[in-house]
Amino acid sequence: MKKARSIKKPGVNIDMTPLVDVIMLLLTFFMLVATFKAESTEAIEIKLPESVVTDTTKLPEKDIMTLTLTKAGDVFLDVDNYNVRETVFGDQFAVGLFHPDSTSKSEYETTGGKVNGKEFKRKVIPMNRAQFEKALTDLRLALKNSTGGKSDFRIVLKGDTQTDYGVVEDLMDIFKSSKNTRFALVTDVKSDTPD
Amino acid sequence: MAGGGFDAPESGSGLRKQKKYKKGKKIGVRIDMTPMVDVIMLLLTFFILTTTLNTPQIMQINLPKGDETDKVKVDMGDVVYVRVSEAANVYFSKGLSDGTEAPPEKVTFDGMKDKIEDLYRANPKLIILLKFDRKMKYNTMVDMLDEINKAAIEKRYSFLKMEDPDKEIVKNAGG
Repeated sequence: MKKARSIKKPGVNIDMTPLVDVIMLLLTFFMLVATFKAESTEAIEIKLPESVVTDTTKLPEKDIMTLTLTKAGDVFLDVDNYNVRETVFGDQFAVGLFHPDSTSKSEYETTGGKVNGKEFKRKVIPMNRAQFEKALTDLRLALKNSTGGKSDFRIVLKGDTQTDYGVVEDLMDIFKSSKNTRFALVTDVKSDTPD
Repeated sequence: MAGGGFDAPESGSGLRKQKKYKKGKKIGVRIDMTPMVDVIMLLLTFFILTTTLNTPQIMQINLPKGDETDKVKVDMGDVVYVRVSEAANVYFSKGLSDGTEAPPEKVTFDGMKDKIEDLYRANPKLIILLKFDRKMKYNTMVDMLDEINKAAIEKRYSFLKMEDPDKEIVKNAGG
């Protein structure tokens, strides 16, 4: 009986140490690499266009001013700094809304608070062109004041693939006249398969 | 093993005692890793799910600084107009030195990179003027910029408004 047991024993207990080692490695890797989704205007679902830009510039981590362009042509203005939002919009979670195209109506306003057919939870401040331009400048100023001039917003454009170019053109006009001459378009990485 | 002898003097119970002792030692040495593995697995799953590995990339665009008043004079011969219609058809028309421009030529997305490179080889001072229809989709704009970025040239392009004459040209060329 003793003999039988001594044979059985090595078979039964599996040494978990290598497994734990590997899992620990993976865990460390993911913990270090993890960048969590920013809460900002993430609630708006957007199908980003794809591109194969040769210089792999990545989205900056912070101090981003995001302009989200929806299919209906609404522009949502948001920054990733709630203190700045508080100073400019008067509410920590507010976003600005601007509808540049005068020929169509804002989806948010006509549907009573819906974006892409879904309820949008955050407080929205509708703006006209002059207010929008002012907000762009004010937001940058507010960040500069709160950080002692150290940081500045990067303007980032997140457009839906189906947005009209007219909206972008109007925005570029506004950027030009408000001296925001540098901005970036957010795109998804295109896989190499030719389409 | 050797230390186990002192409270087992009798040989009769010796076998049983030794067996018991062996079993006891085994339990003491081996640490049960299962709960730890469970917790680590949970953490791992959490991090895998929350990580966004494909951070979107960006396409930097610089608009010209300065006011509308200080206009830059360019030689029409260095200019190529790229007009894109609402239906995302691309027309290239080369500017000529006498101030006019060559008739529009339809270019496919696939052939655009080569076309731009050809034009650049012919004239390294090439300036691309983009005229996009307002009803065109944003996707097309990104695709266009992507094609230009892909071409191995010095990037000099700017956006112009598509005016009625441009629309006319595009319409006559096939829309």
